[in-house]
Amino acid sequence: MTVTVTDVLIELFKTACVVIAFTYVLTRTKLFTDVLDKRFTPVNRLILIILFGALSIFGTYGGVKLPSDAIANIRDLGPMIAGITCGPLIGLGAGLIGGIHRYFMGGFVAVPCALSTIIAGLLGGAIYRFKRGEFVAVWQAILFAIFMESLHMGLTLLIARPYEEALGTVKEVILPMNVANALGMAIFAFIVRNLITERRTAVERESFRRELERTEYEMETARGIQQSFLPESPPRIEGFELAVLNLPARQVGGDFYDFIPVSENEWGIIIADVSGKGVPAALFMALSRTLVRVNVADNITASQAMQKANRMISQEAKMGMFVTLFYAVLDSEKRRLKYVNAGHNPPFVVKKSSGEVILLRASGIAMGVMDDVSLEEREIKLDSDDIVVFYTDGITEAIDRGNEQFGEARLIETINQNADLPVKDLIDRVKDDVFAFAQGQPQYDDFTLVILKATQG
Amino acid sequence: MEILEKNINNIDVVSLSGRLDAYSAGDLEKKLDSLFEAAHIQLIINFEQLEYISSSGLRVLLAALKKVKRQHGDIKLACLKPNVKEVFNIAGFTQIFNIFDTVETASKGFENA
Repeated sequence: MTVTVTDVLIELFKTACVVIAFTYVLTRTKLFTDVLDKRFTPVNRLILIILFGALSIFGTYGGVKLPSDAIANIRDLGPMIAGITCGPLIGLGAGLIGGIHRYFMGGFVAVPCALSTIIAGLLGGAIYRFKRGEFVAVWQAILFAIFMESLHMGLTLLIARPYEEALGTVKEVILPMNVANALGMAIFAFIVRNLITERRTAVERESFRRELERTEYEMETARGIQQSFLPESPPRIEGFELAVLNLPARQVGGDFYDFIPVSENEWGIIIADVSGKGVPAALFMALSRTLVRVNVADNITASQAMQKANRMISQEAKMGMFVTLFYAVLDSEKRRLKYVNAGHNPPFVVKKSSGEVILLRASGIAMGVMDDVSLEEREIKLDSDDIVVFYTDGITEAIDRGNEQFGEARLIETINQNADLPVKDLIDRVKDDVFAFAQGQPQYDDFTLVILKATQG
Repeated sequence: MEILEKNINNIDVVSLSGRLDAYSAGDLEKKLDSLFEAAHIQLIINFEQLEYISSSGLRVLLAALKKVKRQHGDIKLACLKPNVKEVFNIAGFTQIFNIFDTVETASKGFENA
């Protein structure tokens, strides 16, 4: 019966598949992860030597007997793998087992075959040392296998006698052995490469997850701190109703509002929006809120107070940070609002008597832009059932799926339609309308809404 | 948002299109910073194709203006759509930025300076 090169190759590949399947299982064991982490002990070294030695012997028995009595085999594969993954000691150990076993099987090529198997383990170990324990690339593993098998053939020609017979054998086995060993090495290297990448990704994912958890925790803490900068509840003011809504788009935000007692009958009402979002905005919010608060006093006008606050904020404003702020002083006795507008969306007053909507514009500029600014101070009388709506642009700039903005007109419309509701309910109505409008689009910017209503007085 | 930049007679014209908001503000900031690093401090920003600007966008422009002013450069704005102009108006930014109807008049503003 004649044996073709293809037949030999297929047989060898079957044997190689067994070796690969075995090594695949091995790569999934703790034994192998210890190897990848270079945690060697005498015990695991011994186990590895025996395992790879056994694979080498399996490679011998799984070989194909040729008409010349030579055996095409993948005996070198086990020691090569042992060497490049575990270093010279384990490579040599496995090579010795496979080699000595082969030697005692006898035959005229016994010496070169045994020698090659030992060299295979040693050479693998040399590569391991050369690469300082870093696992080889797939193409390097293939080259190594081809080089090793060529060396194997060379040794056979050099040592085995008679030469003619050795040459005949080499001619028969050189192609299938090169291909089968190279393929085996390639698949093994591919598996290990994947395993290494997988492990690295898993480590990165884990550290990323921990980092995320920590950030999450810190942000929750920051949120708590920021909330504590905002009034817990609006003050009770004789003859007025007051309600607030504050919904940061992220855990922390740049919007803020404040109610500051100025004198016996006067309350300062503040609504403000720091440029940007998230942590930078929140930090600047904390600074601005404090600087505004310390500058409010009963012996200076609203515009003087805010101009002083602006100078302080401006000196701290880096990175182009600024804050738009509306400051109103409500005199509950005189039912009058004095206000300055530092670049904020003008709040509006809905007059009950005429249905008129008055925008509270006043010339000014956002705080933090320039050191010296002039902020115009204006005032407006409030009559019974007049409603003052202070808001930040997160509300009017909420967009629907078609990128259309909620806008000032819809806000005014909602207020007008629900003007008779208590302010708390009015706030809820605005919130519902904005969310209904946004059609489930994520909230993009902080929402802050303060509604003041003059009651019957 | 898209950012296009070309240099005309030593003045950089940066054209913006789309929405300048918290998401795109960082891109513009990087672009402008790279121009400043190359000592390009005479800028015209063309808003013709810009649909929307948020406070994050204003912040980047303000930071940029402060940087170039320190080196005696300037940033002029051109072709603002009414809704964008309104944002500048409300924040009072029309007081600190020179705003022109066209890129040509803005570049004349540099010649006369």
